[in-house]
Order: sequence, then structure tokens, then C-alpha cells
Amino acid sequence: MKLHIFCLSTVMILLTSCAVEKQRHLPNLSPAPALEETSCSAAVFPQGKWQFIHAIDFSMKNGAGTAVIGVTSLSRNRIDCALITIEGLTLFEAAYEEEKGLEIRRAVPPFDKPLFAEGLIRDLRTIFQPPTGGMQTGQIPGAITVCRYADNMGRVIDVLPEADDCWQINIYNSEMTLDRSITGRSCRNNGSAQVPEYLELNSYGQTGYTLKMTLIRADKL
Amino acid sequence: MKLHTLLIAVWFFILAPPPSFGSADRNQVHLDSIRADFVQEKHLKILARPLISTGIFAFQAPRSLRWEYLTPVPSIMLMHNGKLSKYTKIDGQFTKQRGMGLDSMQFMLGEISNWLDGRFAENEMFVASFPDEQTILLKPKDQTLAGLISKIELKLSDQRGILDTIMIFEGSDSYTRMTFSNTVINKNIPASLFTQK
Repeated sequence: MKLHIFCLSTVMILLTSCAVEKQRHLPNLSPAPALEETSCSAAVFPQGKWQFIHAIDFSMKNGAGTAVIGVTSLSRNRIDCALITIEGLTLFEAAYEEEKGLEIRRAVPPFDKPLFAEGLIRDLRTIFQPPTGGMQTGQIPGAITVCRYADNMGRVIDVLPEADDCWQINIYNSEMTLDRSITGRSCRNNGSAQVPEYLELNSYGQTGYTLKMTLIRADKL
Repeated sequence: MKLHTLLIAVWFFILAPPPSFGSADRNQVHLDSIRADFVQEKHLKILARPLISTGIFAFQAPRSLRWEYLTPVPSIMLMHNGKLSKYTKIDGQFTKQRGMGLDSMQFMLGEISNWLDGRFAENEMFVASFPDEQTILLKPKDQTLAGLISKIELKLSDQRGILDTIMIFEGSDSYTRMTFSNTVINKNIPASLFTQK
């Protein structure tokens, strides 16, 4: 009996692993009724000037992590951001502009590593700014509507404007393997944008990490 | 000392209120315990409006502490019988935060003991000055700390031994103001307040 249960469990685990692995590869895109790019970009990415404040729980694969408050201000092509401890001390403050690049105003250890700043800005741009590159629309298995972008670094970004009750963004690397995913939950209609009450960013691979972001407030500036 | 240890130490240092103004020679109120509500305002240039947090602070000599944020991010730091733990509520659940070193606790308890014994000016971290009867100004001795906090201003209330506000200045356009209210001193606090979430 125990052997049967063990075999069954093993098969189930293998099947589950295969299913998960399959989901981590770029799904085929099938034709679907035409979808305007604005349906994706306007529904998912905030337009105009906004400020978002989130409680952020950061956790690494090894379990290490911390909780901070994140401030993100959006204005045209500019992102200003800050990380503050719950106790009110500023750990990190920076600005990013397409033309000017990254300006770090304050970085307290361990947030003073250049890779941290670049990674943070990359994640914020993924969450708040529409992808660049050629776009096509269609459906992926499950009849899910997708705007698919191919950028100049060989990556593919799938924007799912109607995933569950909110939206989802999946980023595939040049090998077409899922590199990062961002899932918005409990979206509320705030002007033109769907603002999620909760965001979860998962980064895969050996140095994977998870950001759980709970919205504290969203201000249209 | 690691940075997070330093930051926690700073907070404990400023939250453990001075029993007397200036020096140990003045009439002192011996503080065995203190409990207060607080409102914390974070001001930062990029913030469209200040970030307001609320919570409670409780300390019982010699080594018990509850430092709890109720809003906007529920978070509880507990210290009792040599054990330090911190929990933060994310996605509806309190999660224990890892990486809180015991070295910081020992350091903080030493600082708090100094305050409770009236040795306000005796500390490793700050140089204290007294611009007026209600104000204590603290400037960091250590260059690393000075890079994080330029100065701290403590405003005392009319009631001896009680803090009204704390202003922590990080730079010219960044500061945190904590205002205390409903302060109760020297009233026994049940141990459960320092052990239970």
C-alpha cells in the first residue's frame, strides 16, 4: 500500500513538474480578434503622473528578506523611487530617465550595490512602463488575450490585460524561458488604469527572488 | 556594527526617553516603564504628501520592549528575556522577519539603561546639546551614522521625563517626525505585551 502511494506521489510530482516546466516556456500565439495596443498599454500601465506607495516584502530563494515601504513616482519617461524602512529611514532613493539614465541620490548598505539599483529600476520599468519593440496580439492557450512584444535584446514580453480579475506580465529571455512574471490582483479602476491592490513579482533562476507589493495609496498627481 | 544594527540602535536610543534634562544632577523621574501612542510622519522630497504611520511604544525595565506599527504596514518588534523578534504583516499574514542580531539588542539595552539612569549624555553614538529647556539636539559622532542621519531633535513635554516629539533629519529635504500621546509612565505592564503578537 505504502509503495503504491509512493509511486502515485512520484508520478504526480513528475506530472506537476512537467506542467510547470511547460508553462515556463513561451506559449504559442494563435490569431484572435484584433486588439489595439492601447487596450494593453492603457489598461495595464498608468498614464500621466502618478505616485504609488506600496508595502514591499522582498524575499530571496534562501528565505532571506526584508519588508520596506516603496515610493514610486511616474512622470512621462521618468521614474523616481525610494525605499523607506517601516520606521521611516530612507534606505534608497533614485531617479531614472530614458535620456539621462540612472541617478542614485541615496543608497544605504546593503542597497548600495550597483546591481541592486539597476535591478530595481528594471523591475519598476517592467511594472509601470509599457514594453518597447514590435507588438502583435493574439491568444495563448486558455483563450487568454495577449499583447506580445519583442524587444531589441531578444526578449519577449507578454502583457495579459485581462488575467483573472486584473492583469499579468510575463518576460521570457532570449531562450524563450520565463525569466520574470508580474501578477496584479484585485484591480481597481482608477481613471484609465487598472491599479492592482496587490502585485507579485517573481524572478526565476538561481538568483530568484519575490516581491510582494501591497498598495498603500495611489495618487494621481 | 552592521547597518541594520546601527539603525535599530538609533531608534531604540531615541525612543527610550530621557528621565531628566541635561545631566544626572537635576531632579529626576525614575522610569521603570513607559507606554505611549505615536504618529510618525515621513517627509521626503518625492513624496506628494507625507507618509503617516501610527503605532504604540512600550518599554519595561530592564529589557522588555514592544514597538508596534498599526498603520499603514502592521509591524511588531518584541523584546523580552533576551529574545528579539520582528513580525511584519504582508498579504494579510504576520511573517517573522529574519536577520535580527542579538548583538544589536545588547547594544540597545545598554543605551536604554543609560537613559533610565539619567546618564543621557553618555552614549557612544551622539553628542548632545541643549539649545533650550525643552529641546535636546543630538549629532552623530560616527561618520557612517552621520551619512544617514544629520541630526535628531527631541522636544520634551512639560511633564518631566516625557517626550513630545522626535525629529530625525536625514538631509535638507528628508525628515521623520514622531509625536507621542497618551503617555503613561511607571505603571506595570503585563509581560504578555512583550511576548504576544
